[in-house]
Parts: sequence; C-alpha cells; structure tokens
Amino acid sequence: MSELLTGRRAAAGAGVLVLLALPFYADGFWLQSGLFAMAAVLGAIGLGLLTGTAGQLSLGHSFFLAVGAYGYVWFSGGASGNGPSRLTGLGLPPLLALVLAIALAGAAGAVFSPIAGRLRGMYLGVATLALVFLGQHVMLNSRSVTGGFNGRPVEPMSLFGFSFSDASPRGLAVLGVPFGGLERLWYLGLALVAIGLFTARNLQQGRPGRALAALRDSGTAAAVMGVPVARYRCAAFTVSCLYAGAGGALTALAFTRVVPDHFGLALSIDFLAMIVIGGLGSVGGAAAAAVLVSLLPQVLTVYAERLPLIAPAGSDAFGATPGEAARCLYGAAVVLILTLAPDGLAGLARRYRPRPAPAAASTAPAPVPVSRTATRPSPGKEPTP
Amino acid sequence: MTAPTAARLEVRGVTVRFAGLTALDDVSFTVEPGTVHALIGPNGAGKSTCFNVLSGVYRAAAGSVVYGGRELTGMAPHAVAGLGIARTFQNIVLTAGTVADNLMLGRHRLTRAGFAATALRLPGAVREQRRHRARAAEIAEFLGLESHFDQPVGALPYGVRKRVELARALCAEPGLLLLDEPVAGMNPAERLDMADTVAAIRAALGISILLVEHDMGMVMRLADTVTVLDFGRRIADGTPETVRQDPAVLHAYLGQQEAA
Repeated sequence: MSELLTGRRAAAGAGVLVLLALPFYADGFWLQSGLFAMAAVLGAIGLGLLTGTAGQLSLGHSFFLAVGAYGYVWFSGGASGNGPSRLTGLGLPPLLALVLAIALAGAAGAVFSPIAGRLRGMYLGVATLALVFLGQHVMLNSRSVTGGFNGRPVEPMSLFGFSFSDASPRGLAVLGVPFGGLERLWYLGLALVAIGLFTARNLQQGRPGRALAALRDSGTAAAVMGVPVARYRCAAFTVSCLYAGAGGALTALAFTRVVPDHFGLALSIDFLAMIVIGGLGSVGGAAAAAVLVSLLPQVLTVYAERLPLIAPAGSDAFGATPGEAARCLYGAAVVLILTLAPDGLAGLARRYRPRPAPAAASTAPAPVPVSRTATRPSPGKEPTP
Repeated sequence: MTAPTAARLEVRGVTVRFAGLTALDDVSFTVEPGTVHALIGPNGAGKSTCFNVLSGVYRAAAGSVVYGGRELTGMAPHAVAGLGIARTFQNIVLTAGTVADNLMLGRHRLTRAGFAATALRLPGAVREQRRHRARAAEIAEFLGLESHFDQPVGALPYGVRKRVELARALCAEPGLLLLDEPVAGMNPAERLDMADTVAAIRAALGISILLVEHDMGMVMRLADTVTVLDFGRRIADGTPETVRQDPAVLHAYLGQQEAA
C-alpha cells in the first residue's frame, strides 16, 4: 500500500515538475492554450462541486465566469475615453481586483442562491438558463463597463510592481528563456489551479461535502441527519460561483481582451461536458476533462491541414472548423462515457489503477516518445498543398 | 460531544391526511425515556407516516408531538435531528461513498466545520474530523462493522447495509432512535443478530427506541410497550402480553376469525 502511495506521489510530483518546466519549452500559442485550460479547470471544479457532488444542474455557469472576467476588468481598469466609447473602472491594484472579482461572482451566486436552494436538479438548470441570456444582454449594452460587443482590454496582473505582462521588468529572461506575459501568467494560473484543487478536494472530503453528497442522493435522508437542505443547496451554488469567478478572471488575463461572445450558452455546455467526461463527483476527473475539452480545439487548429474533414481556420476548404470538430468529438465522448463508462475518466482511472502487486516491476508500457517537430501523418488523406 | 439523554416523547391526537385519505387519525401514545416502544399494524396502517411526522418529514394536520418539552410539529427535519432524534429508513437510504463517510454524515449535527474552514483545512476542522472519525469507528465496532469501515457501501450485502444505516443513526448520539423495520428482508440469522444489537444498544446507551416492525417474535421479545395501528387509528396500546390478547388486534391481523 505504501509502495503504491509513493508511486502515485512520484507520478504527481513528476507531473508538477513538467507543468513548472513547460514555459521554458512551449511557445506562446501553447502557453495561452494552457492558460485557457487552467481557467476551464477552475470553472469545471466549481460546476463539479455543484452538479457532481450536490446534484444540482446549472446551465448558467458561463454567466458567473463572465462576472469574474468583467469584474476583474472593471475593478482593475481605469476610466478612459469619452463620449459613447467611454469606459469606467475603479483602477484598483490588480491583485485586489482579482480577489474582488472572485468575491463578486460569489455574491452574484449568493443573490441567485435562494432560487438554487428551492429548485432541484433539472429545474434549477432551466432557471439558470435565463442567466446566460441576461448576461449577454448586459455585456452587450452596458458599454461603459463592458465595452460592448468589441469587449474591453484587460489590465495585466501585477504583484508588488512585478507585472504579469511583457512590461515591467521588460526583457526578463530566466535561464536564457525570455519570460514575457504568458510565461509569467502561467505560474499565476498554476497557483490558482493548485488552490482550486486543494480547496475543492478538502471540501469534498470534509463535512460540507458529505452533507452535499447526502442531499444529492436523498434530500430526506440528509435532512433527518440534521443537514439544512435549502441552506446547503444555496451554499453549494455560491461556492461553485466563486470557482467560476476565478476561472473567469484567469480567462480575462489570458485573453488580454474580454468579449461577450466567449461567455455564451456554448461555454456552459462545454463545462457540463467536462464534468460528465471527467466523472461526476470527481475533482481530479473534472480537472483532467477540462484540460482535454479546452485543448482539443487548439490541437485540431494546429493539425487542421493534416487531418481529414477539418478545414483550417479562415480557409474555404470543405470541412468543419476546428471548433466545430472539437464539439463533435467531445459530444461523441460524452455519449461514449455515458453508455460505456458512466463514472468518466475518474472511474476509468480507478478501474485501471495499478494494484499493489507482489512483483514490484511495473507492467505499464513505456511512454511513447513524441517528437515536437515531426508529427505522424494521419491515416487516409495526405495533406492537400 | 454531549450525548443527549433520553426524554419522553408524547404523541397526542396526531392526524395526517393525504388528499382525502386519512393516513393517521387522532393517534396518541407515549414513549417513556429509555424504553423500547413498538409500533405495529398491518400494511398501510400508518406506521411509516407516523415516523415521517415524528422526524419532521410530513406535517400533521392536527395534534401535537412533544419531545423533552419541545413541540416538534412544524419543525424542519434538520431541526428535529438537532434535538437528538435519529431514524433509519424502511428501504435503505445511504450515500454513495464508504461506510465511514456515511457514519460521519450521522455526526453532522454534532460537528461545526463550515465551508471555509474545511476548504482551507484549518486546524480546528482537521482536529474535529479526526476526533469524530474515531468515535464513528467506535460505533462501527459496536455494530460489528469495523472490517467494512473504509469500504464503499455500494459493494456491501443487504444485511450489512442495513446495519450501516443503524450505525449512521447512532452516530448522531440520539436520545430517541426511530427504527423503521430494521429486520425487513433479512434472513433468520441476521434477524436474531439485529434483535441482539437493538437490545445491546438499549442496554449500553439507555436511549429510547421506537420500533416499527412486522416480525412479531422480535417485537414481543424486545418491546416494553406496544402500540397497534390499523387504518390510521390506534386500536390497542399496552404491554406485549395485553396487546397479544386484545380482540381488536387479533381481528386486525387475522381478519374475520374470532379469537381462538
């Protein structure tokens, strides 16, 4: 048992080292994709707690991400422009703005939570749907706060004079690798994800998580065990919005510009796909699936020319855009997961977890070396010139 | 971790109606502190309805339920649980997770750790969890569940899951324990085991137990007092011996035949 535990610790440690080392090797495109994935992980953790642990459906998750994103932009951004393009903002220190943005998303959730406390599962899902449309309306029309359709630039994060952008200190290099905004943000994102995973796991394994799981499985049983059902449903909703707020703020930082289009119903559906693929009720599974689902369109974009039926972005070639193709693929993944492995990635990991075998020798296959330059040609079609 | 001592439960004139059907009609009985009180009657007599009123799940249309001087009717279920009333369900209702998780849910009302303290692993929350887990393990051992403590409940056989439910109720350190058919669906050996367990709980903890049960052998052996319901009305109340010879009870159970 202890051997197994040290094995898993070693694997986790190796994973952390790889994540820490990535900015030294990956280019800007992948770093930005990675940051989107981290934002998705934070959002998925929140929705996982609400839907997977507490059994409450929310289709309004993208709204609370938007609150976090625009909250950060408004708290940190200064007033500028005049006339119809005038922007307002508080111009607060970015760290304070980040904390306030997360709190604002939580507060928005708390305002909605009396509804969340009274509606169960599916019904709550329909009620939260309204939030997405409300959010779109506000984002498009409240121009002085959101910048309207074209969005608004994002004030970079900075900590005690150290900016998470290409400026201040300009031309920073670590071990000969230039450290611009994305490289610096990478570590901020990792820190947020680490905090998110740590707190969510603690919640799930502690008293609140047990109460939420109980009211998911039977509201009556939870109540007669002393769990105030409505209050816990409210709390679960609020907590999930806090994570959404953090994810939204990180999205804003990674994008450097927030636009209303990003926070539509499709984003909410993406989050549902993530937690289903990850396995309902599993924090780690939701995080892993969030990475898969948010990186898939990026991967398809890069390899669009080599893949059949996928048209490179901006071309007139026959085929689906990478974004559409990604949605089809993980839509299929959701169907496969629901029919073949209802416990998702987390369930598959449990099923194939190495057991403490008498022979210490690992039977795991050696990792396949992946070259960064040469990609294997896809079977079938040759890339068209 | 103060275990409440058993208090008197007084049910007076409780009536419950479901859209024209009177499930309970002016039912009264008293559970004396530290006794085993059985609630029996044919199917549909209103026993489970009565349990749901006592635990706050159903509202009574009339009547009152007083436990230790507090009026229960109108209280939310979690508030009733807070007074030290715990119950089991006729059909097992456990949460997905390990036996330990379920027993720790039983300790919900005795613990305080909130969302923030738990999320941040504050020392108080960690200490509380450790202390209560130790007590839950003790209770699991008392019910012979120690070897299952860290196993997922979904994989356990029926009889064991039934005991897990009982253990979860005991984890709330109740003064009054409501057992809804604790031996339903069990084989004879498991039944004997459960009867011994209920007797042991009463002897060791001195709490009151209100028992709904169809197994007459178990009722006669364990109960100090028996209340008999039929079609929502109380038809008899007394010691097992007097109830057993009551013509109304024999009529309710055996139909038109006269008492032998």
